[in-house]
Amino acid sequence: MAQAKKPNGGKPNGGKDNFTRNLVIAVVVGVALIMLVPTVLSNRGDSSAAIPASVSAEDGYGIVFNKELTGVPFIEIYEDFQCPACARFEAIAGSYIEDLISTKKAKVAFHPLSFLGGESQLAANASACAADQGKFLDFHRTLFANQPSENSGAWSSQYFATLGIGLGISSGEYDKCVQGQDYIGWVKNVAEEGSKRNVNSTPTVFVNGKEIDRNTAYGSLGDFMLAVEKA
Amino acid sequence: MSKFEKLQPWIGLACRLTLGGVLFAAGYLKVGKAEISQMAVRSYELLPIPVANFLGLTLPFFEVVIGLLLIVGAATRVVAVLGGFTMFIFIIAIAQAWARGLNIDCGCFGGGGAVDPGQTRYLQEILRDAGLVAMALFLTRYPATKFSIDRAPRQSNAGETE
Repeated sequence: MAQAKKPNGGKPNGGKDNFTRNLVIAVVVGVALIMLVPTVLSNRGDSSAAIPASVSAEDGYGIVFNKELTGVPFIEIYEDFQCPACARFEAIAGSYIEDLISTKKAKVAFHPLSFLGGESQLAANASACAADQGKFLDFHRTLFANQPSENSGAWSSQYFATLGIGLGISSGEYDKCVQGQDYIGWVKNVAEEGSKRNVNSTPTVFVNGKEIDRNTAYGSLGDFMLAVEKA
Repeated sequence: MSKFEKLQPWIGLACRLTLGGVLFAAGYLKVGKAEISQMAVRSYELLPIPVANFLGLTLPFFEVVIGLLLIVGAATRVVAVLGGFTMFIFIIAIAQAWARGLNIDCGCFGGGGAVDPGQTRYLQEILRDAGLVAMALFLTRYPATKFSIDRAPRQSNAGETE
């Protein structure tokens, strides 16, 4: 017969034989707490991190084009270079957005998120390096057009250095920036700003601060143009 | 000994391994992916953003701990209560997302965030979690199970009455 145990949520067993059990509990909880610390720390943004020249902290650390324009729609794009839906959006709306930039009909901010992992961080860092060389849009277009499958090992610092040559970047600074991951702190800041902004999927696009309609405007150029022109 | 008394420690073991295994796997798949996990919690639109981000960061570790303790059978009753409570909260969160017409993935095993309308699986997610709550309740009522590191695992709970 069992000793009476009250189902009051108290300790199920008292007594001398619980040493092993308590030790196991202590070890499991302890190890988890120790592992939690670096996770919390690495998740913090760093306001002193180096940022590319075209970036402004007040625009959520985005890479901004036509920053000086007023009275035009402000398009903010949150995307991950590895996300297939972002590549689809880029294929649908990318050249229209580039036209808006070159004809000065919109202010556009790109926020390269990196939630899909290591290769997204490398890509985001390299995109900032390319931005400093005035090649962000070329980099952006080329990378999405040649998107490999997620974290397959295809995107390395070496890959981005070579890509720079392909884009006609001859500066040694770009290589140094890619290899040294100079903007990795900024990449984390972009991620943190995105999370504060409640960006919960990629791509997420705001026009004048309002998210475009998820049911239509991401999948059709016509609907997206309408969303921009109505703004 | 009734048939149930003989079976109960084995049923308990199955509940422990299932609930523990699910919690451990759910946590383990999210532990190194804080940003995705935070995004999944935010997309329920239930908590203030900083709170959701904190939960997204810590919840995977909590799930791993509870899962491991259930698998080895340490402090079974307390841990089963915690695990069952967690699952109960998940059911509420998923149900409110469904009722409010949000289009999200539960993010239970990684992933999460917004999905296309029509891609949601709320009913399956709720039924699964309800099954896990039932297991947690069984373990809370009968915490003595086979192969547990709690003391005297062979004790029967037959002395208890409701």
